[in-house]
Amino acid sequence: MDRINKAKLILWTILGIAGAVAITRFIFGLGVTTNLTDNTPWGFWIGFDVMGGVALAGGGFVIAAFNYIFGKKILHPIARAAILTAFLGYVAVAIGLLFDLGLPWNIWHMIIYWNPHSPLFEVGWCVMLYLTVLTLEFTPVVLEKYPNIKLLSIIHGFLYKIRIPLVILGIMLSTLHQSSLGSLFLAMPYRLHPLWYSPIIPVIFFFSAICLGFMMVMVESMTSSYLYRKEQEIHILGKIKKYASYMLIFYLFVRFADIIIRGAGSFLFSFSWGMSLFWIEILLSCIIPLIIFSMPIKKIKISILYFGAFIGVVGVVFNRLNVGGITHLNNLTEIGSFYFPSLMEFSISAGVVSAAMLIFFYFVENFKVWEESPFDNLVINKASKFNSFKVYLGSNPIVNRTKFSFSFIFAFGLTFALISGGEIHSSGFDKSPVTKARGADTLLIDGNRDGYGVVFAHVNHQKLGYTCGYCHHINKPDDKATGCYECHDDMYLIGDAFRHDWHSSSSGANLDCFKCHNKSVSKGMNFKFSNKKATHICQNCHNKIIPLDSRIKILKTYKSLSYTDAMHSLCINCHEQKLHTDSLLKQIKPNLAQCSKCHKNFSVFKKDKKLFQGKKENKWVVVP
Amino acid sequence: MKAILTDITKCIGCNECVKACKVTNNLPPDKPREWQKTDGLSASNWTSVLHNGKYNLRKQCRHCVEPACVSVCPVGALHKTETGAVVYDSDKCLGCRYCMMACPYGIPRYDWDEPVPYIKKCILCYHKIKDGTISQPACTSACPTGATIYGERDELLKEARQRINAEPDKYLDTIYGEKEVGGTNVLYITAKDCPLDFLLYYNNRIEKGKELAGMPDLNEAIPITTKWAMGAVPFAFLGMGALMSGIYWVINRRNKLQSENQKENQKQEDENG
Repeated sequence: MDRINKAKLILWTILGIAGAVAITRFIFGLGVTTNLTDNTPWGFWIGFDVMGGVALAGGGFVIAAFNYIFGKKILHPIARAAILTAFLGYVAVAIGLLFDLGLPWNIWHMIIYWNPHSPLFEVGWCVMLYLTVLTLEFTPVVLEKYPNIKLLSIIHGFLYKIRIPLVILGIMLSTLHQSSLGSLFLAMPYRLHPLWYSPIIPVIFFFSAICLGFMMVMVESMTSSYLYRKEQEIHILGKIKKYASYMLIFYLFVRFADIIIRGAGSFLFSFSWGMSLFWIEILLSCIIPLIIFSMPIKKIKISILYFGAFIGVVGVVFNRLNVGGITHLNNLTEIGSFYFPSLMEFSISAGVVSAAMLIFFYFVENFKVWEESPFDNLVINKASKFNSFKVYLGSNPIVNRTKFSFSFIFAFGLTFALISGGEIHSSGFDKSPVTKARGADTLLIDGNRDGYGVVFAHVNHQKLGYTCGYCHHINKPDDKATGCYECHDDMYLIGDAFRHDWHSSSSGANLDCFKCHNKSVSKGMNFKFSNKKATHICQNCHNKIIPLDSRIKILKTYKSLSYTDAMHSLCINCHEQKLHTDSLLKQIKPNLAQCSKCHKNFSVFKKDKKLFQGKKENKWVVVP
Repeated sequence: MKAILTDITKCIGCNECVKACKVTNNLPPDKPREWQKTDGLSASNWTSVLHNGKYNLRKQCRHCVEPACVSVCPVGALHKTETGAVVYDSDKCLGCRYCMMACPYGIPRYDWDEPVPYIKKCILCYHKIKDGTISQPACTSACPTGATIYGERDELLKEARQRINAEPDKYLDTIYGEKEVGGTNVLYITAKDCPLDFLLYYNNRIEKGKELAGMPDLNEAIPITTKWAMGAVPFAFLGMGALMSGIYWVINRRNKLQSENQKENQKQEDENG
């Protein structure tokens, strides 16, 4: 039981990590857990969990077709395992989707609110129906175990009778949604790279799903043979290897023919991010597997065959990721942001896969998925070997359960502890956008994060007699410093200059409170931290007033800002107010509050170019 | 259909429209995050003013004549109203964010920081105009220079054409939104030295200097791109069913005949033997 139990231990640990992250995701939302942005709203969960997952589960319909429809009886021994893999794959897709959806409890809305124009609507329906079909296809395996209960055996008999129509229905549904997953991307021609965007992308998706189906069945068969120390099913693998090679050659041909006919051939050899991703994908999904599969089955080492099939699986999933998101950033970096999945996204995906694998092992061990029992080849008790766990944790089945529970709880707790509150509350928000300084006293504070700073005379504020804490220290949600508007109450902006959580947290500066707060003044529990006497000034530690990471740059040339900047461009408000309050002004300048009377054809923003050094010329930025 | 015409040359970037939009739609203050730097739109900012040092440009939902977001939403949470506004029904939404992916202008925004997030975008003040609380969207009524105006789409197109014809040296001879992605209900006219092609994702998507390969036409509505695939669905479904049944029948029959032949052969052999 060594290999399988080691594998299970790892899977339970991953599941524990994913469990803690799952709770974070549902309590705090997508912004905290993922790196998704408004420019890249779909990420790893769609690319891998949903699109990759559906493709990985394609083995079910491919093997079912070959076994039941084309009469290739040689595949019969692995048909049940393939259908189980498909079933669990689709359950995993559904669970993964629940994490990705913003309002997962509304997922059933697809049943009552219809929009038949939407490819996603069709995918949703097909997946729901196919999941039902797969359940019905697999139920007999479960029912077999209870031949004495009459009702169950009647159901079993009925399901056995309708198995061929079920298989055909499953193939029909699979054809539809495997290809419709590609149709999803027909609607976004501007996002995909020309090497992937094709009018026939649904067809390409369908063919690649068949390739992946074969290779995934090989991987699954070899993995479980390895884990349960079964004999490798060499003759079946040889057969599938042959089908997979034919399909891969066909897929490769369609792929390149499509690119050349469309006229995108020039992109194949234009050195770019997209081109390299494309060639990596083709190398992984087609070329390496084809080379390995071309060797005769009897000469090839099982580890090499495993490598070939596994690389092929990775390659096709990589295709789904490319279509689903990676290539988008090439096109969108000009206007958008770079996306790379966060650790939390990876751990949820890994957790979903682990759960599916654990359930697979459960079914294999408790039901007749394979023709022989998985325990036949296993040496359960090695009496000669001393097992220290056994002494402390009990007999063999219990020791495993204890180990699994322990690893799950340990991973869950550890992850929960590592996801710190500070990260949750400040994740995604910008750091202090204090941009440029003139000398060392005047800062430009970019309160509304638009790329423009407002003149802030730091020295003058210090002279007013407040402590640093007076401005830099009041903790509010999403904001770690007092906004200017706390004093200047005609302002509405927030700042983020001093990170108290970083200064105090063990993963940050790890300071004792009284490193900054004066112990002698702050007696008892109800002292005021922001009191001048109670707090040391920042300069005590920061010898230069410019703290690290504060994005302050010292300009050599002294340039003053325009009045518009200083007023946050809210010119019109004052003008209106003046006009209403000052009756004299109303007579002299009746058009004072109508911008266009004075500002006719020119912009109000005639700024010195040097002030915006580093910004691309003609780049559109938000007006402050 | 109602529409908005924005004249880039008239906009002075006073941000009154942004403020009016916030007040009218009761939007919360911004929670600034990285990507807002690029265009200022967010779940709490449905319109924003950009400037490039010379001109100011107001961004908002284009309310396409044939909207991509409406056609791709699996539950029909977005729909096009009779006035031309594309509005959102949060009760139906399941949060798949396909609309954000499909929008050719990248407009819909998401409540990333909420545990119960919704799609947020300009709805052309549809509900308030329908109630009769206001007669035109908050942004257009707030504009002090008349840079952005509200009216019937046909009339605004005429008006735009008139302005371009009156001052051909000043204006670029294009009405943005007249034809692109099947036409939009928010139109732009702009100065000669300030083309707005970049607003459509489409124009940013290729590696520079290369022609589009296999891409649909720029003026084609996005829903048309998925049409053939969706139209082929019933045929693919039934065709696959028929094909599989046919193959099953043929192979099954062949197997049966084979086994019968074998039996007969055996019988004959037995008789002979």
